[in-house]
Amino acid sequence: MKSNKTYFNADVLKIDDVETCVNQITEKLRHDVFFKLQRKGGVVGISGGIDSSVTLALAVKALGADKVTGIKMPEKDSNPESIRLADKLANKFGVTTITEDITAALAGFGCYHRRDEAVKRLFPEYDPDNCKMKIGIKDSGLFTNLPPLFYITIIDNKGTEHTERLPTDEFRQIVAASNFKQRSRMAMLYFHAENRHYAVIGTPNKHEVEQGFFVKYGDGGADIMPIAHLYKTQVYQLAHYLGIPQEIIERTPTTDTYSAEQTQQEFFYQLPFEKMDLLWYAFENGIAPSVVAPVAGYTQDEIQSIFSNFERKRKTTEYLRMRPVMFDN
Amino acid sequence: MNNYEIIRNFIASNTYKDVKALNETTLIFKEGLFDSMGFIMLIDFIEQQFGIKTSDEDLIEKNFESIKAISAFIDSKIQNK
Repeated sequence: MKSNKTYFNADVLKIDDVETCVNQITEKLRHDVFFKLQRKGGVVGISGGIDSSVTLALAVKALGADKVTGIKMPEKDSNPESIRLADKLANKFGVTTITEDITAALAGFGCYHRRDEAVKRLFPEYDPDNCKMKIGIKDSGLFTNLPPLFYITIIDNKGTEHTERLPTDEFRQIVAASNFKQRSRMAMLYFHAENRHYAVIGTPNKHEVEQGFFVKYGDGGADIMPIAHLYKTQVYQLAHYLGIPQEIIERTPTTDTYSAEQTQQEFFYQLPFEKMDLLWYAFENGIAPSVVAPVAGYTQDEIQSIFSNFERKRKTTEYLRMRPVMFDN
Repeated sequence: MNNYEIIRNFIASNTYKDVKALNETTLIFKEGLFDSMGFIMLIDFIEQQFGIKTSDEDLIEKNFESIKAISAFIDSKIQNK
């Protein structure tokens, strides 16, 4: 499936035979949904992003369009583009969709109130009806062993940005409140899955799973994850092969969690996906920094720092991937 | 308690490590004891405990890589208050 696996180069992750790769995934997906999970079909939460689009296309190829339901779950902070692109995707693949606006559910959980309460402790003038907000990291921590710190930015109705470093209590409260979004979506997906005797087909890719860029029992909650072994550039390769609408392929991946627009690179990864894929592959396969450096365009010391960051990230996010601890008799 | 002991106890209690396993040159972040959340907690703690204010320019590896480095950073901040 991959070329030149015997040595490290820029194309090491390129899938040579995409058709075979897709067939292997869809065969396993079909087998596991029907025989392992013993479900009649699958629901996929679709956001107009690349990962959920590829997942839906794979599910359609594996199970048939009549056995896949796309669930759109916008809320008041969502970008309207997400719905438009999700509809375009569903039309292309002939899938029935359901729209569930989860704003009221989130208000019921106190998601917005709890988040805005923390924001106002830092910015007393913050008015959620007239300001946008986001949290992110500063793009300076790639070659240091220090983990990135999170900053909050509010943007007032004149477009002026105000940024502060997030202290412990406010950081925890904003993240915990915002995570209601992913967990509410998970609950809604399971409603529609159980209502049809379907499985929930999850959409995380390899980086999200291994670096802990997901919400435990939120977007990390699903019955089967057909692209969890794929690097992001491989997801794009599949997207081209499967005929995902070009607009979705060209869209910059965003978190679509906060009211202000924010890329995934800005929020979490710190690296463009092409570099991230190559470096993560080298890291997990134990390739020496001296081999990686000239291919990736960094010095050996920089590669070593990036590897240390990866190791720390993997170690400190183990909790997210842990199953519940169960006791022996 | 001196600064070193205060910082060491804070890190031990927040990472569930035996205090004896931490020495002044233990690389707190490189060894994965603290993630982003731990770093934020550490900054908040030293600001409150020692009455100092940290700027973004202060938050570099040289000042935070080990308990020894943190203690020296706190001393210099207090002296320059």
